[in-house]
Amino acid sequence: MDQKLKYIGKYIPIHDAKEKVSGKIVYVGDMELHGMLHAKLVLSPIAHGRIKHINISKAEALPGVIAVFNYKNSPEILYNAHKWIEGIEVIRDERLFTSHVRFFGDRIAAVVAESKEIAEKAANLIEVEYEELPVILDPEIAKKADSYPIHPDGNHFFSKEIKCGNPDEKMKEGFLTIEDRIETPKTHHAAMETHACIADTDQIGNITVYTPCQVIFQVQLIVSEALKIPRNKIRVIKTTTGGSFGGKGQPILEPIAAFLSYTLKRPVKLVLDRTEEIIATRTRTKTIGTVQTAVDKEGNIIARDIHMLVDAGAYTTNGEAIAVAMGKKTFKLYRIYDQRYVAEAVYTNTLIAGACRGYGSPQIHSVTEINLDNVAKALHMDPVEFRLKNLVHPYDKDPTGGPELGNARIIDCVKKGRELFEWDKKYSRPKQAGRYARGVGMACGAHGNGYFGAYPDFITLSLRINEEGTAVLKGAFHDVGCGTNMTMMQIVAEVLDLDVSKIYIPATDTLVSPFDSAGTQASRVTFVCGGAAKKVAEQVRAKLIAYGAKVLDCMEADVVLEDGYVWDCNSIDLKISYGELAVITQKRYSEEMGATMTYQSPGNPTSYGAHFVEVEVDTMTGRVKILAYLAVHDLGKAINSGFVEGQIQGAVQMGIGMALSEEITFDSKGKVTAGRFSRYHVINAPDMPEVQVELIERLEDLGPFGAKSIGEAATVPTAPAIINAINHALDVNLTVLPALPDRIMDAIKSKTKERV
Amino acid sequence: MLLEFDVNGIKRKLDVDPEMRLIDILRDKLGLKGTKEGCGEGECGACTVIIDSVAVNSCLVLAIQARDKQIITIEGLEKDGELDLLQKTFINQGAVQCGYCTPGMLMSCKALLMQNTNPTEKEIRLAISGNLCRCTGYTKIIRAVREAVETGGMQNG
Ligand code: FES
Ligand code: FES
Repeated sequence: MDQKLKYIGKYIPIHDAKEKVSGKIVYVGDMELHGMLHAKLVLSPIAHGRIKHINISKAEALPGVIAVFNYKNSPEILYNAHKWIEGIEVIRDERLFTSHVRFFGDRIAAVVAESKEIAEKAANLIEVEYEELPVILDPEIAKKADSYPIHPDGNHFFSKEIKCGNPDEKMKEGFLTIEDRIETPKTHHAAMETHACIADTDQIGNITVYTPCQVIFQVQLIVSEALKIPRNKIRVIKTTTGGSFGGKGQPILEPIAAFLSYTLKRPVKLVLDRTEEIIATRTRTKTIGTVQTAVDKEGNIIARDIHMLVDAGAYTTNGEAIAVAMGKKTFKLYRIYDQRYVAEAVYTNTLIAGACRGYGSPQIHSVTEINLDNVAKALHMDPVEFRLKNLVHPYDKDPTGGPELGNARIIDCVKKGRELFEWDKKYSRPKQAGRYARGVGMACGAHGNGYFGAYPDFITLSLRINEEGTAVLKGAFHDVGCGTNMTMMQIVAEVLDLDVSKIYIPATDTLVSPFDSAGTQASRVTFVCGGAAKKVAEQVRAKLIAYGAKVLDCMEADVVLEDGYVWDCNSIDLKISYGELAVITQKRYSEEMGATMTYQSPGNPTSYGAHFVEVEVDTMTGRVKILAYLAVHDLGKAINSGFVEGQIQGAVQMGIGMALSEEITFDSKGKVTAGRFSRYHVINAPDMPEVQVELIERLEDLGPFGAKSIGEAATVPTAPAIINAINHALDVNLTVLPALPDRIMDAIKSKTKERV
Repeated sequence: MLLEFDVNGIKRKLDVDPEMRLIDILRDKLGLKGTKEGCGEGECGACTVIIDSVAVNSCLVLAIQARDKQIITIEGLEKDGELDLLQKTFINQGAVQCGYCTPGMLMSCKALLMQNTNPTEKEIRLAISGNLCRCTGYTKIIRAVREAVETGGMQNG
């Protein structure tokens, strides 16, 4: 399409902006159903043990309590909430309520009562006696063969190697080899809306689940597996989502609420408070990475060896998938032809890990990008120069045979960033003596666009122009607040040349939405679902033209479509609206102005970004202030410029937290010591820099209007860029994230010691 | 206890437990569900309402403390079907993503502008320092407040 774009690229507010600013929008926690009961979970107060006795009689006796459930009166079926589509092999180790608690926060019971206050009161009346078991918090201890097994088959449950070339041989040829060991923290997603869910069951046992989820069909699948109820009896309706970031990807509350409602035959609401949200949902996976990079004298990377230890926490969930996903990224950013990636995944008695914005990319890039700065330093090279020598070029191949990189524009990002940030000047600026040390850092990142090459990646969409000339696009879209629906609407509007306000996307509902293979996961939505929206709109456009030509009695080539009207370019006076054309087409040809089709993802190109940051470190307190921040991204094409900027700015906020302040901590017995926002520090407005955003819009061949992913990709380079800036400011080598003031002070002290 | 107070210009009389939190009174007794709970401990600001011209976390206010007060919630910003200027600038600037922090954020910004018609960027950041947003990185929220200030027409209260 070479004409000027009308809708693509513009900022158009999110589809439900007005309802959101007026407070009228309904999240699941705001919903009330007739006769609704309220549930409260009872969570383990110890990190590892077996229940010896559980006394629920006091809770049951409380007026207003309807029922109490625990391992004795609930299904014993094991499931893995990570499974999103039939056919994936998973380790099943989670059940609704356990008798063997494996972390502080494990689910042991639920109380259902007439009000949330009564349910809460009753939950506190449940008495449990435990036989305590050894607690393992450190993944390096968990890895050992003789560590006390958290699950029957031991704690080391997965390992994987991905390799290209001959890294062992090549490693020996290095002019120098730099090794680092970097730890990344377990963090909390901190969506402002906590997990919440309502399940309702009708008289014949059909369950309806209302949930702010990322994949309706996954919720249906997991409820079905956990409860052994046929899928067709389970309907899942996605509700307005108050943020997710991967946290609401795995169905956690849904099978529980469904079970409670199914058993009691009444609607049941389950809403977590913030502490429950932090401890009993999912976290960003903690990792310990070691990396060795060998370079020649000129600064060409000749081999690299990476080892990642993945701490899955107490249950498997996506521990295997994320270990693999991280590895794949390491072959897509630099031209390294001899490289090995090894991952090992273990259980610990800590909070369960899961998907979190970037799905391992922020972790693996923290390890590799901090290391690369250390390599540049050893070579006495500018880290930007060093990277430019080694970064991938457009249309490079993945050396492991993975999906092609596509129009990979990371070099453009780095060059643009260097110029806009005035990197050369800032990097070489002489260090000032005194209390406040300034430094600059940068890092690159790569992230994917869907599941092509790994898992089924397709979506079925249905688009129809109705008799009034408005269009309905049906599909299982999961707008979690980032503007998915409007993105799709803009694509359809552009193709049909129909105002965006005339396009409507109904609620996402397993009963009425056509099937989608993976939901909002894997950064697939813009690229895959957007690609599908474009395709189905093109089919409807073709129909408008074909029937337009018949009705107007002209050549198809002469049919003009514009702003909801169709006419013959040779007789401009007769304009008929899309609605009128739809009516005539129905009447005369028994055909509707619509199309339904299944779209298979055509590829999985890589999205890139480079972040540049300037920090000031107070060497007396170890506090870091971010003075300037620039994010440059290669996203092919921004469908909605405002959303893209907002995604990047939000992603950077999350990345700063990972770099500087966010960490879920435990005491020696595994009790969470950061279970509330007063102890878990999310970056607030005064600490947040203004993030300057620059886009490299070199179209991706396979993406809709050239677009590829951004929301996850944007959080990938943040943490390493900041750590690199601190290392530059202080001439230290921080290896544990987040760089809390104490850790920075320790690094300063050990440097001073070294000098003495 | 008998709680008498003014919510969005309407005088209310309710019989409530004096220990009941204001957020629960608003949401559960008055059906004003626009006010959100994000933490229940005064750390996230999702529950912010305006009490006698000051932005307050309604999760920390008990019924007894709300007596005779004038309260504005997010539902009270819109006047005669027309959005408040700040609500409009939030939309214009893309300050809304998931929307969960938005009601509280708007109430903090509204309270700021009630007291200071021309705040600096620093003052805006400070005014929303107790409001966490996980989606936007705050930049567009600050721009929205700036736009409201610059567009003028911001009547005190
Ligand atoms: S809910 Fe009141 S401050 Fe978080
Ligand atoms: S818009 Fe989602 S938390 Fe602010």
